[in-house]
Amino acid sequence: MKAAIIASSVISPQQTYNSDGFPPELIETIADHLVCVEPDYRNLLNPIQLRRMPRILKMGLACSQTCINRADGISPDAIIVGTGLGCLDNLEKFLLEVLISNEHVTSVLPFINSTHNAVAAHVAMLLKNHNYNITYCHRCFSFESALQDALLQMEEKKAKNILVGGIDECTNDFMKLHGYLGYWKDPQSNLKLLSGKSSGTIAGEGSAFFMLSGEAGEGENRVLLDGVHTFFTPQKADTAEILEEIDWLLQKSGSRLDEIDGVMLGVNGDYRFTELYDDLQKNCFSDNTEFLYYKHLCGEYYTSSAFALWLGCVVLRNRHIPDALRLNGKSGHAINNLLIYNHFRNKEHSLILLRYGQF
Amino acid sequence: MHPRVFVTGVGILSAIGNGTDETLNAFKNLKTGIGKLSLFQSAHENIPVAEVRFSNPELAELAGAREDSMPFSRNTLLALVASKQAVHASGWTSVREKHTGIIFATTVGGMDLNEQYYKSLLENAEHKQVIGLLDSADSTEKVAAYLGIRHHVTTISTACSSSANAVMLGARLIRNNHLQRVLVGGADSLTRFTLNGFSALEILSPSGCRPFDRNRNGLTIGEGAAALVLESEECADPGRIICEVSGYANVNEAYHATASTADGFGAILAMNRALESASLKASDISYINAHGTGTEINDLSEGIAIDKVFGSQVPPVSSTKAFTGHTLGAAGAVEAVFSGMAIRDQIVLPGMNFTDPMPELSFLPRLKIESRRIMHVMSNSFGFGGSNTTLIFSKA
Repeated sequence: MKAAIIASSVISPQQTYNSDGFPPELIETIADHLVCVEPDYRNLLNPIQLRRMPRILKMGLACSQTCINRADGISPDAIIVGTGLGCLDNLEKFLLEVLISNEHVTSVLPFINSTHNAVAAHVAMLLKNHNYNITYCHRCFSFESALQDALLQMEEKKAKNILVGGIDECTNDFMKLHGYLGYWKDPQSNLKLLSGKSSGTIAGEGSAFFMLSGEAGEGENRVLLDGVHTFFTPQKADTAEILEEIDWLLQKSGSRLDEIDGVMLGVNGDYRFTELYDDLQKNCFSDNTEFLYYKHLCGEYYTSSAFALWLGCVVLRNRHIPDALRLNGKSGHAINNLLIYNHFRNKEHSLILLRYGQF
Repeated sequence: MHPRVFVTGVGILSAIGNGTDETLNAFKNLKTGIGKLSLFQSAHENIPVAEVRFSNPELAELAGAREDSMPFSRNTLLALVASKQAVHASGWTSVREKHTGIIFATTVGGMDLNEQYYKSLLENAEHKQVIGLLDSADSTEKVAAYLGIRHHVTTISTACSSSANAVMLGARLIRNNHLQRVLVGGADSLTRFTLNGFSALEILSPSGCRPFDRNRNGLTIGEGAAALVLESEECADPGRIICEVSGYANVNEAYHATASTADGFGAILAMNRALESASLKASDISYINAHGTGTEINDLSEGIAIDKVFGSQVPPVSSTKAFTGHTLGAAGAVEAVFSGMAIRDQIVLPGMNFTDPMPELSFLPRLKIESRRIMHVMSNSFGFGGSNTTLIFSKA
């Protein structure tokens, strides 16, 4: 099953919100985590809504609204969101209040907002949309599961247009706790994420929404979502095993490995998890394949593949690869078939296949 | 061709028992699981809850999980116990690579570990081994690892409809030939987080929930886990088929973050769409396992919706939450297992704690086990954020 990606909107640590193209200038941050460049929400949400709304809800609502506007105001037949941690900030807030007040909490709003489906539910409320509304919360499978569900809905012919989002926020406590586990680098430039050999990565966050359509007009080239595949804790995690999984995805979508002319990798600068990406890059694809990366722009987070999907759309649509995305020195052709491959600490592995062409 | 989807094994662990036999006995003997809080100390110790009667070490033993090297959240232990039961009952022997999946659901995941260690973690790294166990995916991955499932591993979190949606997704993946076999389910353990949240919302019953009673005064939080093995008709052992998953729908009420409409709009839509997906009429339904939390607004909204959908022919209705409490993210799967038991044993399951009918409704909840011809069971699960899911199970 495939779907056309007919609109998108992204809030990220780069200037990505106001136009749907690659930003003319990149933001360099020297830190262990990247923070989103947020828009002025007053144009989108009324002041009463805004006053007590958690940041992640604002990001989700603004992004979904903009995506729908760019899709000419289509009312989606389903709303599906992936979020690794949901409204983490409000969850932490309520948890701490319970613990510190010895269970004499005074504010219930953080509890309500901490429900993982809060973003999808608020999008539905704002749109008065009564259709299918689901939220996936499974680490680095969250957004991929949302995409898979959307493709399944189209296969079932239950939906023509589906709003799919991937959203996560970074918090101070999250940084601190996962710092104990050696997840992060010492502060360094995000634009030099892959230089040097050190452990850890730079954390990030973001919100990305897409309008997927099961029936796009003929005659126009579009970015098509051609398949999504996930696999958990591969036994050997060598290139042979990853290639077998890639083959499975390609077979299902009726394509071949030698047609893949672009691969976007989730390489994140942690040398402990780089080998697999390196081996794939060196040994598994044809010589003309362009290799791209993205986490220097958005940081590492559970739904970073939503940002990767957006970048993939930009690269395919514009028929041009910005130098800042290149992993190898190739400079030739525009990409037609792009594979996005990401894995999180060798546990959750995911593949997203994009094609540029007629529906 | 869309293969039919069968339930071939179930596992359940709730305040009224471990496994379907104990559960059925509790229903027969009208023995509720609602009682006094004993799991942890709490400022809300006088509010009744529905606890699973095992301590964490006892659960670990039931799950065959060794706690010496790595702690487990209570949520994960509950999920492991229920999953083992379901898998054993289905005769599951091996995982068919790429054709076997797992979809689990929870609302607060490893929150109990958060409550124990979060404050100290903000100070120092002493308990850092729990950090990877706090989220909603941990229980799913632990069960997946235990069973060797490596494909189609995911977790749904849509508040109190979470695991009903896991059942629905599993059925959809089989119907469309993406999977042959999938373990679906949900788990949630009792936590201070949820106890305080619902308390602050002022919807906890001070006396134990009284679903569909005129004097109902709130819900009772429970804990538990349930798991179901779903298999395609080609794959299922005919001797183990409990029932068929025949219909499902999720809709969003898009009305309020925590409350449902008084006219039952979302519930009506969910029930009607589920009937449509099963190609059934309302009059085909033999029993409704209601969401029936015992809050003022849910029972009014859901009750009115049932009256509107079923008209003058409302089938037997009960809310088993008077026995199990509201197991939150596990509730949809818990009640899916109850629906399967109703079909397997040809019985209507009872509610409890009912004396005065609601004047707004035409029907009374059933209060004891009744033998009856059960062809189709409807199970409702509604959650925060307007998430309304209805499942329909049928005699195979």
